[in-house]
Formats: sequence, structure tokens, C-alpha cells
Amino acid sequence: MLLLGIDVGGTHTDAVAIGPDGLEAQVKVATRHDNLLSSIRDSLGEIVRHTDPARIKQLNLSTTLSTNSIVEGNYEDVGVIVSAGPGLDPHSFMTCKDFHVIPGSLDHRGSETKRLDNLSLEEAIASCRNAGIKVYAAVTKFSPRNPAHEKSIELAIGDNSDFTTLGHQLTGRLNFPRRISTAFYNCAVWRVFNKFADAIADTLDEMGLGHIKVNILKADGGTMPLDLSRKVPVQSIFSGPAASVMGIIALCNITHDSIIYDIGGTTTDIAIFAGGSPLIEQEGIHIGSHPTLVRALKVHSIGIGGDSAISMLNEKVRVGPNRLGPSIAFGGETPTLTDALIWKESCDCGNIERSKTGFTAFAAKNGLEPDELADQAIGYAVDKIHDSTRSLVDEINQQPVYTIHELLENRKIIPRKIYIMGGPAQAMKMDVFRKFRLSTEVPENYDVANAIGAALTRTTTELELFADTERGLMFIPSLGHRENIPRNYKLEDAEKDAMNHLLAHLGEMHVASDGSNAQITSSSSFNMVNGASTVGRNIRVKCQIKPGVDRTYS
Amino acid sequence: MLKADNSLGIIFFPAFDWAISPTHPEREERLLYTQDQLREEGLFDIEGIREYKPEVACSEDIERVHFCFPEAEAVATRSHCISAGGAIKAAKLVMEGERERAFALVRPPGHHAMKTVQGSRGFCAINIEAIMCEYIRENYGPKRIAIVDTDCHHGDGTQDVYWHDPDTLFISLHQDGRTLYPGTGFPKESGGPKALGRTVNIPLPPGTSDDGFMMVMEKAVMPILEDFKPDLIINSAGQDNHFTDPITNMNFSAQGYAALNSMLKPDIAVLEGGYAIQGALPYVNLGISLAMAGVDYSHVREPGFNPKTLKESEEVMNYIATICEGVKEIYFNPPAESSEGVVSGNWSVRHRNIFYDTEGFTESQTESLLLCNNCRGLLKVETQREGGPMGFGLEIPAAACDSCRNQGYSLLEEAQVKSRYRYIQLINRKDKDYLRYGF
Ligand SMILES: [Zn+2]
Ligand SMILES: [Zn+2]
Ligand SMILES: [Zn+2]
Repeated sequence: MLLLGIDVGGTHTDAVAIGPDGLEAQVKVATRHDNLLSSIRDSLGEIVRHTDPARIKQLNLSTTLSTNSIVEGNYEDVGVIVSAGPGLDPHSFMTCKDFHVIPGSLDHRGSETKRLDNLSLEEAIASCRNAGIKVYAAVTKFSPRNPAHEKSIELAIGDNSDFTTLGHQLTGRLNFPRRISTAFYNCAVWRVFNKFADAIADTLDEMGLGHIKVNILKADGGTMPLDLSRKVPVQSIFSGPAASVMGIIALCNITHDSIIYDIGGTTTDIAIFAGGSPLIEQEGIHIGSHPTLVRALKVHSIGIGGDSAISMLNEKVRVGPNRLGPSIAFGGETPTLTDALIWKESCDCGNIERSKTGFTAFAAKNGLEPDELADQAIGYAVDKIHDSTRSLVDEINQQPVYTIHELLENRKIIPRKIYIMGGPAQAMKMDVFRKFRLSTEVPENYDVANAIGAALTRTTTELELFADTERGLMFIPSLGHRENIPRNYKLEDAEKDAMNHLLAHLGEMHVASDGSNAQITSSSSFNMVNGASTVGRNIRVKCQIKPGVDRTYS
Repeated sequence: MLKADNSLGIIFFPAFDWAISPTHPEREERLLYTQDQLREEGLFDIEGIREYKPEVACSEDIERVHFCFPEAEAVATRSHCISAGGAIKAAKLVMEGERERAFALVRPPGHHAMKTVQGSRGFCAINIEAIMCEYIRENYGPKRIAIVDTDCHHGDGTQDVYWHDPDTLFISLHQDGRTLYPGTGFPKESGGPKALGRTVNIPLPPGTSDDGFMMVMEKAVMPILEDFKPDLIINSAGQDNHFTDPITNMNFSAQGYAALNSMLKPDIAVLEGGYAIQGALPYVNLGISLAMAGVDYSHVREPGFNPKTLKESEEVMNYIATICEGVKEIYFNPPAESSEGVVSGNWSVRHRNIFYDTEGFTESQTESLLLCNNCRGLLKVETQREGGPMGFGLEIPAAACDSCRNQGYSLLEEAQVKSRYRYIQLINRKDKDYLRYGF
């Protein structure tokens, strides 16, 4: 039985096949940005040539498709229909030209405080239709507490739409502006993503791999089945860094507070582990000009990589953040961090002779010994990495907490170990170690760790449950599930219901889970008081399938 | 994306695991809907607005301000220390220039906690604004500070802490004490003998709405602040003047609170009371946060807001105008003597009984200020909880003259020798010497 992982990266597309005893095949091909499918097909073809296709059970795919189409603004027009009520002016969150604000409002408990204005709604839809809009996002304030207004908007859009995203289906977490942008992006990339998904399915059929299960990587370090991803393509953005982090988890046995570096060509991604678990971004990731509610691992990117150019500023050596073509060793003109590492004989790649000659010439031009130049350049890069890491850890340790218990128990993150992967990993290892004085490890297969991470990542999902016993209602926004509950419904009931729905949802996605990776991440119950008597309880439970790998590989 | 005109730090600490009792107004749920509203609005995504974790105030932070009997640990719970620590964090952010302004959105509140503390009063055990102000003075040097208390209840605790301090201007706007707890806060309470006019009480009639409050701001508060020229303006931002508040009778709105804040421009705001936890707090807190950050708040409206039905009559407005003139007169031409205390020798002495409503006991207290021509004077307090042991507190102010300071130490020695007191506390701000004796 084989698990395939493909990570479509900025420069390379990496693919691996992992069997019960470890890596059975690995491939690296250049990524063709104008035709991602061909990069995937090529790498898959290589893998299939080296393995028995009948043994392949699953393909996990991380792709830059949604990210690129958003970043490049290469997506279709969306009709965004929102309803806000009191608060910030919703026009501040305008994501596109076909943005319509409809009077109407709900409060934080989901009570309607103002009816949705049907006339304005009809006008907004007519306007979108005239503009040729075929995909719609409907988002109302506090819809995770009551989806009624979003559903009314969906109903009114009716046949005008090929696809509609309702805000509450994306997540139960609150943040109206982010919900708007997330729903907007989801619609914007929906068609291009679905075409891609069709093409993947066709390709697999052609290659005789129609039987395998396909999952798409998400930014939170989990996967989602291809069928589900067609409805929430926005969840596939920024899954690249997640693949790397999952790769490290698969390759190393991480138990301490740790720092993970993925040193690439132009950037270094920094991730932090608390104990054995990667940290999740509290709200969601930023993309384009808007923050979103897309859950993601906390990964901080800085402009230092192997291809970062070395420059002089006021007689001081600097590295990055620009890339001015490849390293001299690979035919470039400006020396890079990689050239500095080659000079120090930490690294053996490309045309060593050419690199050293170019490097010496650059040093001489700036009145430096090449050794001095290399030391300063590497020192600069390591300092930058070190400083960014410190401020990231400080920021994490500063994150707000809301209960006395949390504040007192809140253990600070103190990194004990460093893991490095990516092209220059081995070459930088000793320099990083000297700076941090922390045990520093570079795993074997570090160069394809991202694809290994993709291959082994498990399917994850999260949900929020709200119950209001005064109203006798329980609601799980992301599943659109609503049911009546008795007045004596308790926190334990809510926790049990949340877990049951989580596992049932996995079942619907045809993912077998015994529940061992399911966990409650937060749960609270507040008395609601009217006058001097308790009228009910406001219960909130969050649960998730813990991001992680199905098995480790070492 | 939205950008704040003024960078703002918010210390949001809802203390989701602390309550006086399950149905008490000051309970776990109090800031729950505020949190929902702030999250749903995406407040912390606005460029310039950032959320911070509180610090935890330590015993020294508390005992720098209060005479605590038997000791700080006995009167303040963990939650009180975090609430005060939230205010301290707000002060640090502003004093160290990380943020232009800060809002400590914390609970429990503190403005009913007096100089001497033997227990809890009006949901308060320690005075979080005072602890913050004295933290500022201790760590960033002497400062002229104006505290404007916009809680519906008279800030009797803060008034008491600063009664003798000419460098702290305390202005309290509140519902008339004849109609509401704690029953104090009349204009004639204008400060101790060395700080006359530095306490400004503005009692307002029940039913005062946005227009009345704004009139007070324009006609009294702003002119007084302009004259006092504080280094820092603090807002004790109690929100129980709201028209839906269950324990008060005022008609103030979220728009009103935001407009008041926009005019006051406080450097730091600290949450005090406010018990309409569903219909008011989420909107008022949002309005204040936006106003402090200089972001448009004109769309913030609570359910049921109707300015016409809330508006006070012309008669009431005229009455408020008269009060404004009266309090301005007191600030600009303070009376020759304090309304409280009698002069005995060279001491000004007050005898008081203070009722601790949250816990239901009375403290009897004798407070004496040494009338000195060279400094604001040595302060001593003799206190006894009914049936309890005697306590003795002594404070040497930061700018004390040598004579007051020396007299302070001889009084301390005398108090120890006489052993009339079970507990003795010395606050020496001049030398930062803080001592406590007793068990
Ligand atoms: Zn007040
Ligand atoms: Zn109050
Ligand atoms: Zn003196």
C-alpha cells in the first residue's frame, strides 16, 4: 500500500511515494506556473513508473493554484451581498465592485433586531445579474449564531448563481470582515479550482489511478477530500508551508518546544512548536489585501534564502530580501548566500569554481577579504533569522488569555530544539547552532520533506457548537446543523454532541477515524441571568481533529 | 483596510472564571457579549489596534496605594490582582510609547475601594485606577493626573484615595447620590484641606441623556481640565449610565459614551461598572474603543436606541447648566476649609464609619492629616473592623518635607512600642520604603 504526496512549490514540484517500510520513490520536477497540471502529471508519471500503481491508495496534493490566482488577481467577479446592522461601516470591508449592503441585523445571540430588507436585496441581485455575475457570497453579521439572513439571501439569489458561499458554512468563528473576504475569495477561485479538480480526476483516470483517494492540503496542516475541496477551495491557500511543517513532524520525533526552519530559495519560513504540536494562527491567514478566517499553522516568512543577493550598504554586508537572479554557482552574476556557503565549504553544489571566482571578485571590489565577506554575509542571515524568531516567540508569548486559570497556567514557550529543512539546511546547520546554542537537527530527506509531509498528513476538520438553553437551541454553523435541546442541556451534553457530529462529518467525507485524534479545544458554559434568576446557559464548544500525520516515517 | 488615527492597545480580560456569585451582576458572563461583538467587528484587525495580555499586580503595587488590613493578599483575590494588572499594562503601553492610548477592558472594577481596605465595597476590593496611577508615578516620576469618572455611581473610593492629593484632579459624573448607591458625591465634597477644589463632584438627575452629559463635558469638565493642565487624563469608564442598565436610572447611550470619549481624549481608559451585559456593554465598549482609536463610530447603535424618547426635558437641562456653573465655581474658587474633618492641634481629623456592602460589615476609622506648610502632609489612619483588631496606617507622601518624614518614623516607632495595634502599615513614597508589621 502506497501513499503519494505531491507538493507544488514555487520552483520545484516534489513528489514521493511512501510504503510501509519508507520512501519508495521520489521525484523533483520544475514547476510550470502556466500549467500546474503538467507539473503534477509529470511527477506522477515518474512515480508510477517506479512503483506498482495497484498499490497506490491515496494521493495528497498541495497546490499553489488558489493562492496564485488570488495573489495575481486572476479570478472571476463575485457578487458580495452583506448585511451588517450596527457597528463598523460595512463599506469599509468592500472586497470588489459588486458589493451590496442590505439593511437588516442580528445581535450576538442571533436574535433578529431588524428584518432583512427584501426590496434592497432584489435590487442588489438585479444589479449583479446585469453585471454578468455568476457566483455569489452572502455574509451577514453574527450569522454563526443564526444563519437565517444568509439563507434568505441564498434563496433570493436562486437560479442566478452557479455557486453561492454562505458565510456561516465556512467557520463558526466570529469575525465579520474576515468572513466577508473568505467567502469572497472562496467564490472568486471556485471555477478555476473546480476545473483543476476535474483535470486531476481525468488525469488519474487516464493513468489508471481512478481508484485512489485524493485529498487536498489545507493551511492548518490537515487535508480535505477532493470532493469537499470543490466547495471550499479557499481552504487550499497557503498549504505549502503546512506541507513542510508536516514533513518535519513525519521525519522527526518532536516533543519539546521547538523552532522549525524551512530555508528555501528566497525565503525562510519559521514555525514554532509548543511541546510536540505546531501552533495555529489565532484568527486566520492574510492574502491579497484582506485577512481571512482560513485556519493556518502559524508560519512567519522572512526574505532570507539561498538565492538572496549579497549587497553592501554603508560598508556593511547585507543579505536579501531581494533575489537578483540565481547564485553565481548556478550562472548568476550577483553573489548569494549559497555562494557564501560554498566559499566556506559548507555547501557543495553548482559550479564551485565559477562561484568562488565571482565571490572573490565581488569581495575585492568592496575592499574585503572573501572570507570576511562570507562570514559577514552568513552572520547577517543568521542574525536576521535569529531576531525574527525571537520576536515571533515574544509575540506568541504575549497572546491574550481570557481566564485567570489560563493566565496563571500559561506556560511560556521556550524553544529547546531547532529543526532545519530546505535546500541550504545542511550547509547552514552549524552557523545556526553557533548562534542559538540549541540542539540543531537536519533530518534525512530534508530536501523532499514537504512532499513527505503532504503524503502523510491526515484529514482534519473543526467545528464550533453553540447552545442557548433559554431558547432551547443548539447550533453547529459550519454543518448548518440546528436542533432543539431541553432546558437542562449541559456542557457535558454539548461536548458529547460536538464530538459525535465531528466524527459523523468525517464519516460523510469517507474518512475512517476512531476518534483518537479528535479533541475538544475549548468549552465553556455561562449562566444567563435576567433580574436575579438564572434563565439559562450559554454554552460554547470547539472541537477538532488534531492536525498531524497518519504515521511517522523514520 | 481600516486604520486607526491613534494607536490603541486594548487589554481585554473578561475573567471568564471569576464571579461574586452565580447571579450577581458582576459575574463571569459580564464581558462575554462584549467579546463576541469586538471579535465579530474584527476590531483587532484594524491597523493600529492591538490586544494585549494583562499583567498581575503584586502586593507591593497594592500596598503602595492602600492601607490593607490585615494585608493585601487577604483583601484582593487573584482576579482583582489581574484586573489591576490590566490597568498597569495599559499604563506601561502608553508611558513607554508603544501605544498612544490604551483601554483596560477588565473586571472586576475598583472605584469604590477606598484608601483603607478591609474588604469589598460595591463589587470593588482594590482601586485599579489608583494602583495604576501610583504605578505610573513610582516608575515614571511625578505626574499631574486627572481622573474623570464617568461611572453612574459616585467614585467614592477614588475620591477617598486622592482626597488629600493636590496633584490629582478627580472629577466624578454620576447619578445624584440621593437616588443611588453609595449616596455620596455632592459638590461640597471638594477635597481635603491641602487639596481643596481638586475633587469635583457633578451629581446629575436621573434620566440625564446624551445632551445632558455633553453639556457637562463642554461647560464644566473641559474648562476645568484646560486649567489643570494634566500630564495624563484617565477615564474611569463605567458604563452603567446606559439607558438599559438594570441597577441605575440614567439615559446615556453608546453614541453618547463614544462622543464623550472623543471630546475627553483620555490617554488611558479603565472599565468600571456597567451591568446591562447584553443590550449595552457590547455596543458601549465598541463605541469607546473606536472613539479612542479615532475610527468612525457613527454606525454603532444599540437595540432600542431612540434619542427622542431618551431626551431630557428643558427643565432638566437648565438644572444641569446650574450644576455646571456651581462646580466650576468650586474648582476655580475653592472654599477656605474642607467640608470634612475638624482641626485638632496641627492635625485635621475625620472620624468615619464605612459600610462594606458586599460583605456586610462596618469599619470605624479615624483619619488624620498633619497640616504642614512645606508639603502636603503626613497621613495616618486608625481603623477597626467591627469586633476586629485595630490597624494603623501611615503615609509619607513622595514630596514630603524632612520634618513630616521624620515625624512619620517616630509615629511608627511609637505605634510599635504602644502595641495597641495588631497591624501596622507604612507607605513611604519618598524613600520607597514599604513596611508592614503584625500577624
Ligand atoms: Zn462617576
Ligand atoms: Zn457603577
Ligand atoms: Zn511637611
